Amino acid sequence: MGNVERCDKTLPVNEMIFYVRRDAMLRARWLSDLEGLAREFGLSRDEYEALRDKDVRRLNEMGVHQYYIPQILRLFYGASANSNSHPALEAYKRAYPAEAAAAERLAGRKA
Amino acid sequence: MARIVTAMALTHSPGLTGWFDRAPEDQRIEARRALVEMRDRLRVSRPDVIVLFSNDHLLNWPINNTPEYTVGIGSEHVGPADWYDEWLALEKYRIPGHPALARYLVNEGARRRLAFAYLRDMQFDDGVSVPMHYLNPDGAIPLVPVTMNCTVPPIPTPERAYQVGTTLREMLLAYPGAERVAVVATGGLSHEPGGPRYFWVDEEFDRWFLALLKQGDHVALLRECTLERMEAAGSGGTAELLAWIIALAFTSGPAEVLAYMPAVAWRSGTGMVVWPAVRP
Repeated sequence: MGNVERCDKTLPVNEMIFYVRRDAMLRARWLSDLEGLAREFGLSRDEYEALRDKDVRRLNEMGVHQYYIPQILRLFYGASANSNSHPALEAYKRAYPAEAAAAERLAGRKA
Repeated sequence: MARIVTAMALTHSPGLTGWFDRAPEDQRIEARRALVEMRDRLRVSRPDVIVLFSNDHLLNWPINNTPEYTVGIGSEHVGPADWYDEWLALEKYRIPGHPALARYLVNEGARRRLAFAYLRDMQFDDGVSVPMHYLNPDGAIPLVPVTMNCTVPPIPTPERAYQVGTTLREMLLAYPGAERVAVVATGGLSHEPGGPRYFWVDEEFDRWFLALLKQGDHVALLRECTLERMEAAGSGGTAELLAWIIALAFTSGPAEVLAYMPAVAWRSGTGMVVWPAVRP
């Protein structure tokens, strides 16, 4: 099976993101008090630092559900115009340069 | 008893509304043409209700409780959910529900040993919002959304999805009403949302899968298109095609592929399919 099975379903950050996305006040606190929010949801220091650093690869490796990682980035960078040149996607290109380059070549062949 | 009047399937990637203009022109033209064709065919089938099979992207259920299937039983559905409207570049929409049919599915499913969770106030992201934007833009056709979990392990197998589709078909045919039901499946094709291959589209897999649909041999498709094969073509996303497998159980014969685009710009293999014949 694939990457999705890396997910640690019991990781506090995986519980936290569900609630943050659904609540405008929590979304605002994400930007103003991420550390306090992380403490309230019981995140480890490692989880908090990976969030703070927007570290895509580390988040994936520690078991954050892969579907949540782009949402984490959109909480930081904004959700509109989420094309492949959006800052959230640029973070992916930095984290996985070989995979991103392969997709770019594919897109180039189709363009 | 209800009657199935059409069955169709399409990609629901957020790029189809949120950043549509970022794809090459030929893909935009092809997608628009196929989506208009689907909408027209849906209208011609004169449905009283759309039963839509999609998946929950961890929007309605937290990761500590992800039901295999969930039915939206509300009298009205409102989307997109807050925060997702900006992402999808869509205004809020309202679509009437069909609570009698939706509640019947929950209760009759239980009698047939299928555990359907339900929500009176289901939230909607791309999985329902994108297909409704193109196929039911004025919200004129009532909707019963049925979502599955195909993103949080354990992910159901294609065999399981087909079995659930078969039971759903039997349940709908036994429904004590004369509704004309359109079956719409959404999700796929190959993509890996949020994984290391986030930008990748597995064109070879997509064309192989669509060829299997065109052959119309359900046994062969279930034998060859395993969950492992789907995962290899894009983990955590390609398995959205399980919704298509549910719809497959309502059909007979070959599918007609209206369009396919290996749309890296939309971060998903993008396809639109109609089955000309439903099972009698």
